[in-house]
Amino acid sequence: MKFTLRGKSRCRSLALVASAAVAALTLAACGGSTGGSQSGGSAGSATSGTVDWWGWTPTDTATAKGYIDAFNKEYPNIKVNYKLVSIPDWQAALTPALRSNSGPDVFDIQPGAYVKYKSFTEDLTPVISKALGSDWKSKVAPVGVDGLTADGKLTAMSVGAVYSGTLWTNPALFEKYNLKPPTTLDEWEKVCQAFKAHNQGCFVQGAAGEGFDQDTLQAIANSVQPGLWTRASKGEAKWNDPGIVKTLDIWHQLFTRGIMQPGAVGYQQYPDANNDFLTGKYAMVMMGTWYTQYSTEKAMTAALAAAGVSGAKPFPILPMQFPDVAQAGNTSEMFGDSDFGLAISTKAKNKAAAETFVTWLTTSQVGQQAVADQLDDVPALKGVEPNFDTIKFVHPATQQAPVKGLLTKVTSVTEPRFALLSQDVQDAILQAATSTATGKATPQQAADTLQQAAEAAAK
Amino acid sequence: MSATSATQSELRSESVTTTGGRRRTRRLRPRGLPWILPALVLCVGLIYYCIGYTAVISTWNWDGIDPAPEKVGVGNYLRIFQDPIFWKTIEHTVGFFVVTFVIQTALGLLFAVLLHSKVRLAVVYKVIIFIPVVLAPAITAPVFRRIFAPDGQFNWLLEHVGLGSLAQPWIGQESTALPVIMAITIWQWTGLTFVLYFAAIGQIKPSILEAARMDGAGNVRTLISIIWPSVRGTTLAMAILSAIGALKTFDVPYLVTVGGPNYATEFLGTYIYRKTITQSHVGYGAALSIILLVLALVMAIILQVRGRERSVMR
Repeated sequence: MKFTLRGKSRCRSLALVASAAVAALTLAACGGSTGGSQSGGSAGSATSGTVDWWGWTPTDTATAKGYIDAFNKEYPNIKVNYKLVSIPDWQAALTPALRSNSGPDVFDIQPGAYVKYKSFTEDLTPVISKALGSDWKSKVAPVGVDGLTADGKLTAMSVGAVYSGTLWTNPALFEKYNLKPPTTLDEWEKVCQAFKAHNQGCFVQGAAGEGFDQDTLQAIANSVQPGLWTRASKGEAKWNDPGIVKTLDIWHQLFTRGIMQPGAVGYQQYPDANNDFLTGKYAMVMMGTWYTQYSTEKAMTAALAAAGVSGAKPFPILPMQFPDVAQAGNTSEMFGDSDFGLAISTKAKNKAAAETFVTWLTTSQVGQQAVADQLDDVPALKGVEPNFDTIKFVHPATQQAPVKGLLTKVTSVTEPRFALLSQDVQDAILQAATSTATGKATPQQAADTLQQAAEAAAK
Repeated sequence: MSATSATQSELRSESVTTTGGRRRTRRLRPRGLPWILPALVLCVGLIYYCIGYTAVISTWNWDGIDPAPEKVGVGNYLRIFQDPIFWKTIEHTVGFFVVTFVIQTALGLLFAVLLHSKVRLAVVYKVIIFIPVVLAPAITAPVFRRIFAPDGQFNWLLEHVGLGSLAQPWIGQESTALPVIMAITIWQWTGLTFVLYFAAIGQIKPSILEAARMDGAGNVRTLISIIWPSVRGTTLAMAILSAIGALKTFDVPYLVTVGGPNYATEFLGTYIYRKTITQSHVGYGAALSIILLVLALVMAIILQVRGRERSVMR
């Protein structure tokens, strides 16, 4: 079919109209394409209004609701809406939301790579100074400040911290087979052989995900040469330092000596490894202080239900020191960061109400006590401790002392977890971990590749 | 005027127009434009604009947030061609296309031929074969993760049929993860291939099949010499769809293996997502997207032209 000339002319007219519409769309889209750091929103009232809070944690809305309910006892006229976004979807959801005018007023920020959202956050230094005084830095945990500060700007106020470098065990399984938690790599191998002989899983890890691989690698590195991992993270040591090569070699041995479960590099820590541990398939799992919450009856029951175990009785779990896998006599020290801080968007619709909520949860005794009592995060405000009189453990006689000991121990932790690592370096660490685990690369080759990636990322 | 009579009237007008009436041509032809205008604006304004904007972004070194992206020209493209993971995704895509297309075609045609014979409960079989097509990968992926887990049902089955030595962590090792993704895709899309072949076979004139029978052709000869050439158009369409589908593969590998282990199931789609969202290399991801677009277009053109050449030769 052919168009006549006149038809073409009319067609052109219509095409012009369409083009104009497209141009309008283009301009509109271009208008919102870059930038996004401009301050907007309004101050509003500090005691009334609505605050939209987005986060990947608290991972259950009941915990967030608990915080909000406690907040509303003091500020009944501020309505806080919590929107839980799963970790894998977090960046995909948050970035366009912040760039638009319909994003959250308050959102979670994790130290490290996520501080990239700094252009969308208010500097909260004046807010925390107002709440805690000019010496505010002495009143909060340092890990909650450094990791959330970028370009001299406090992008978020830490709610609490998490620390890693520990294993959690199912003591009933150890008792059942008359075994003791391992303290060295050789013992770990023997314990796993013993469990295997009884057709019982030993240690489970989701080695497909970068964060948890990093935890295990950092714990191994702290056994090989304490502090080396942190120095490499800071760029003060190379990632192909002999200590890191040995770390990757021991990591490889976890697979070849039957410690890591079969198919670990295809496992996700959540839900795979977590569910397998909670359903008793494995006796040990690599988890940090956030797992403390599952020592309580309430959280353990909810976790079992989430793992698909209906009607199961909660069982006690215990933290254990990461084994001295290098067998060099070093204690593998823990490491940690702020779990998350609350940032206030530059486009917040009601900044005053948002400040009230953020200040209450991160700096008030009541807010921080609510955080402490969840046993999920270690409170950011110094001096706030969980109220163990009200916390109901699954088996208080065996759990209370180790849990208290763990929470006391982490107060002296100085090594960061993710705060020093860019996303590119984290990805390179994952690649080094999986290529070593699968035998695709030797520890030396993987370490060299990691160093190259870190150098490229630093450019 | 009823819709039917209006349509007939339109058709008559169209018929008159195409035979000569120049005035009518002028009056009638543009009448269709308002009808396509919304789609035109949507396509040009949304899809083509997005493609254009993606092409622009592909020349930036940008994290998706920075208000002042660094312009790098074709730098991202040059880096992509030196990126071993990119070439790995191409390798996976080609292998994935060949394996899934061949097996889906064979199974789809086989089921279609079988169900064109007088099979009892044919409707039930048709439903069973087609059901996977309507199931969302988001629903089936966790099931497959469970089935192919080290202690999953597939290994359980192998152990119970005396093949326990073959049991292994199927999605947890590089050698078997990609075949699992292929198997899931074949399971999911064979139903569509079957339906298309079933419809195509229904278009073959019974007299041709009867003539073949009278000439002494058996089942296999009829399938090879009569049915297979007669459904060539469907096969070509399936080849184009499979090729483009392979290039766009995202949901199954992302949901089942997250592109791993060690990039063993990484496809262009999952790599674009990894680069753009997870690693915040939005410019690099945009360049990958443009390459994906070009590859899809080239693939479709090649298959279309090859199909036409064969039709002409015949």
